[in-house]
Amino acid sequence: MMSSFSIEIFLAVVGVLLIALDAFATELNRKVVPWAAIGATGLALILMLTRSADIPAWITPFYATDSLAVFYKVFALVTTLIVLIIALEGDFITAYFSSSEGVKTRIGEFYALPLIVCAGMMWMASAKDLVALFVPLELVTVSFYVLVAFTRRSAMSLEAGVKYLILGALSTGVLVFGIAWVYGATGSLSFEGIAAAASKPTTNAMALMLGAALLLAGLGFKVGAAPFQIWIPDVYQGAPTPVTAFLSVGSKAAGFVVLTRAVQAFTGDGSQIATQVGNALLSAAALTILLGSLPAIFQTNVKRLMAYSSISHAGFMVLALACGATGTVAFYMGTYLPATLLGFLLLVVLRTQGVGDELKDLAGLSKRSPLLAFALAVAFASMAGLPLTAGFMGKLLVFMAAISKAHYGVVALAVVGAAAGFYYYFRPILTAYSPVEGESTKLQVSPVARVTIAVLIVGVVAVGVYPKLLQSVLK
Amino acid sequence: MGLLELLIFIPLLAAALIGAGLPGKVIARSAAALNLLLVLAAISQFNAGNTLAHSYPILDNPAIAFAVKADGLSLTMALLTSLVLIAANCQIGEGKPAIYYVSSLLIAGGAMGAFLCTDIFFLYGFHELALIPTLLMIAIHGHGDATNRRAIAWKITVYLGVGSLILLAGLAALVVALKPASGLTFDLAALMQSAKDHPLPAATQAWIFTALLVGFGTLVSLFPFHSWAAPAYATAPTPVAMLHSGVLKKFGLYGLIRIALPLLPLGAKHECVQQALLWMLIGNIIVIGLVTIHQQKLDTLLGNSSVMHMGYIFLGIAAGTQVAINGAIILMFAHGISIALLFALCGRMRNQLGTLEFSKLGGLAANAPFLTVMFAFGTFASIGLPGLANFAGEVMVFLGAFDSNINDGFKLIHWATILGLWGVVMSAVYMLRAYRNLFFGKAASGHFMSDPVITQRVSLVLLAGVLLVVGCCPGLITGLLKDLTIAAP
Amino acid sequence: MITLNDYLLVAGILFAIGLAGVVVRRNIIVIYMCLEMMLSAANLTLVAFSRFHLVDGAPDYAAQSLVFFTITVAAAEVAVGLAIIVALFRAKQSVDVESVTKLKG
Repeated sequence: MMSSFSIEIFLAVVGVLLIALDAFATELNRKVVPWAAIGATGLALILMLTRSADIPAWITPFYATDSLAVFYKVFALVTTLIVLIIALEGDFITAYFSSSEGVKTRIGEFYALPLIVCAGMMWMASAKDLVALFVPLELVTVSFYVLVAFTRRSAMSLEAGVKYLILGALSTGVLVFGIAWVYGATGSLSFEGIAAAASKPTTNAMALMLGAALLLAGLGFKVGAAPFQIWIPDVYQGAPTPVTAFLSVGSKAAGFVVLTRAVQAFTGDGSQIATQVGNALLSAAALTILLGSLPAIFQTNVKRLMAYSSISHAGFMVLALACGATGTVAFYMGTYLPATLLGFLLLVVLRTQGVGDELKDLAGLSKRSPLLAFALAVAFASMAGLPLTAGFMGKLLVFMAAISKAHYGVVALAVVGAAAGFYYYFRPILTAYSPVEGESTKLQVSPVARVTIAVLIVGVVAVGVYPKLLQSVLK
Repeated sequence: MGLLELLIFIPLLAAALIGAGLPGKVIARSAAALNLLLVLAAISQFNAGNTLAHSYPILDNPAIAFAVKADGLSLTMALLTSLVLIAANCQIGEGKPAIYYVSSLLIAGGAMGAFLCTDIFFLYGFHELALIPTLLMIAIHGHGDATNRRAIAWKITVYLGVGSLILLAGLAALVVALKPASGLTFDLAALMQSAKDHPLPAATQAWIFTALLVGFGTLVSLFPFHSWAAPAYATAPTPVAMLHSGVLKKFGLYGLIRIALPLLPLGAKHECVQQALLWMLIGNIIVIGLVTIHQQKLDTLLGNSSVMHMGYIFLGIAAGTQVAINGAIILMFAHGISIALLFALCGRMRNQLGTLEFSKLGGLAANAPFLTVMFAFGTFASIGLPGLANFAGEVMVFLGAFDSNINDGFKLIHWATILGLWGVVMSAVYMLRAYRNLFFGKAASGHFMSDPVITQRVSLVLLAGVLLVVGCCPGLITGLLKDLTIAAP
Repeated sequence: MITLNDYLLVAGILFAIGLAGVVVRRNIIVIYMCLEMMLSAANLTLVAFSRFHLVDGAPDYAAQSLVFFTITVAAAEVAVGLAIIVALFRAKQSVDVESVTKLKG
């Protein structure tokens, strides 16, 4: 029995040890570090599910262990575990593009860093305080700088890394400046203190608004909410696919949990800026859904398509947040995980078989591997929000949250976005099932990938037809 | 697991098995036959007073359950589904890829689920199972050149996708508006109770009804949201055309009768909504009727005629009286059977003749007497000849519609009824002309057609027989419907 | 007497200069320097606010502790960031933003 706090420390320590191991034990089999990382994450997940509730008293002022925190911690662990499997699947591609020509490099950090990121994300889930928000957030962001630019022999990865670096650092600057102003206006760094001060008439509303706007902009960047979503398509497309998966699920979820807590603090009972924050979130949600869905229609690269799709999903989650439905945000995130990770896993598996990530490369997939084609159909159907898959439950709950708050205009835009989704998500499915001329070779799928694909498909369908599964985790 | 759950899961399971590589023909046909037997068993159970209701909660807040329950309406639709499924499976030729069987079973299983579930979540959700199979079947295995059929496949997908999203928004609004004290629920019975206890204001009902009408209406090809239907049916592979036009399209009408009318009685009666609906259905009957008359090919003619005939059913819904709605339900059933029969014949003719243009064909009766008789059944049913099922439905719709509020003076609905009667004349014109052109007259050279093998014959005779039996004894269906109360008091 | 507003004004100007630099400059190293300037502006704001926010007559040091974290994070960011920029320079022989325009669409 370990407390969640010790599990985070454990993960970070294992991450550092694995980096050291990789650097010094040069004779080691190259598969040891990946499997050690997977094992450590699996162990941490088991420990997390059987954790003890008590945490040291000194930490309680800035460390929450409520249901939201627990949900996102489990979420981060599951994501990391699957991302590590995806990374292992694409191991030789990452190794090829990260070494200098002719030199065989070991890429242990590529598996050790996600553990550190995971510890950071779990920590963020518990943040009750702006300091406790900022430090793990930066731990995650800086580790991602390394991961995005990891395959440095690929010009695309390097370019994505530079873009992510500049825009990430920009958002950090904006975020800290926002924190400073929120502190200046409220005299407090804890969310509780901020919420209390926001409802006091003596608080300077203008200063608080400036701070809140900057803070939300900084966090909006992390989750990819419009108008701070511009980096997403380039970075997602250029980064190594396992890292893209990690960014689009893990980093986004961690961003949403702190965004949820910040918004709760700003829109508490009697808050002076509740209306403005609410309206800003609503407009951001509408804009995000449109700027995600409409450009997605014209994409010809599946990875880039999924980047736009992740923007549009972020829009739906911001919409739920704007309606005050924090449980729905978490639920949507939970429905988004299996489908998105499945999609990226497929891209990696295809890539190892020499199939690129352009849309036209998918043609004839159903002949070459019925399993992969079916998995692709399930993943994209769920992202499109087709009923009886996980994605539908998420969209339905968001629609209901928005309708119960009478935000009909945004609902109409969300309908437009979802309708566009039917086109751009079904297009890869149609391509995969279209026959092609001539002979085609069968694709090989490794046993590990097979099992993971099967588990994720079951996850998508199970959450779609029996959402209680996910809801019980949220309780 | 009860009878109704089996009805839903057998086709889906069969689809999964065939998808996993088991032989398609055997499994699909046995699943379809088993389904028909189980529907008949369910009907006899229902007549014995057993509603076969089961409920499995899947979410607490909002309360969602996989809940099934039999009543006259849902059993009628289930019977239609299983009949058309058998016939559609028998039209799949030897050597066709497994996706033919998988998609027809998915479409039918989804329709079955939509008709039997009493929870809005599953009622809506099962219907959407058809979306991807339809897209794939039309785009990949449809008729005509590749670019064209892909465009048509996208058209139907986008139309139905948008329609169902509007519908979803409307249903979500309905669920939110009718929230009982115990919390949000998707259960129809609970919503009904809530609608009785706390009726919504008429204006709210009107706009939610409008959303549902547009959403469901798009799925049923209500004018002016109809333009996906005719080309899609003309292009789709035969089993998909049969199932889509015969069964799936009835889902929208079913939804209106099952959800919109009882939960939003004031919305349905709202002056503007009613006027709009009447004008739209007149559009279906007259505008599409005229379009249909001008068709020069059998497939587009059938596609358009199926759009046109939806107008009558909408007329029954617009009238809202018990007689008119029962008539609409019978007509839904009868139209489903007759259009499936006609599309089956149309598919066979396309395979053998290579063309469906009236100008190039003629005299087919000489070598295919059996098909000629079957086509006659379809034709006469579709123009509403007495003795065939459609007649009973049409008469009840017209009587019910004409009867509604006639004491308040002669209104648009009565005009619509009269125009509807003219629509019947139009149907007679184009159907009989098609029949004469194809089967009689001078035989065109180079086009030869023969009668089909025995299994296909059995499936066609099944459909024709049902048309005849229900036409002679409409009491078989009205008996099921006798306890159904839809119309607002 | 220097007041809180003077500090805030200076910090605001610093932040604005940094932001403007990020937007208009083409050299990635310079952009990176501007980003650091924005962080310094934020730090200055934090320190000023905490110095003038008196709790029981003494400045509130909670926010000043955040500044130490920020400085540490900024150092880490520079270490990783410069490594990436060096890698870019090796690959492209340039640190101009024009050299990273391959990804678009």
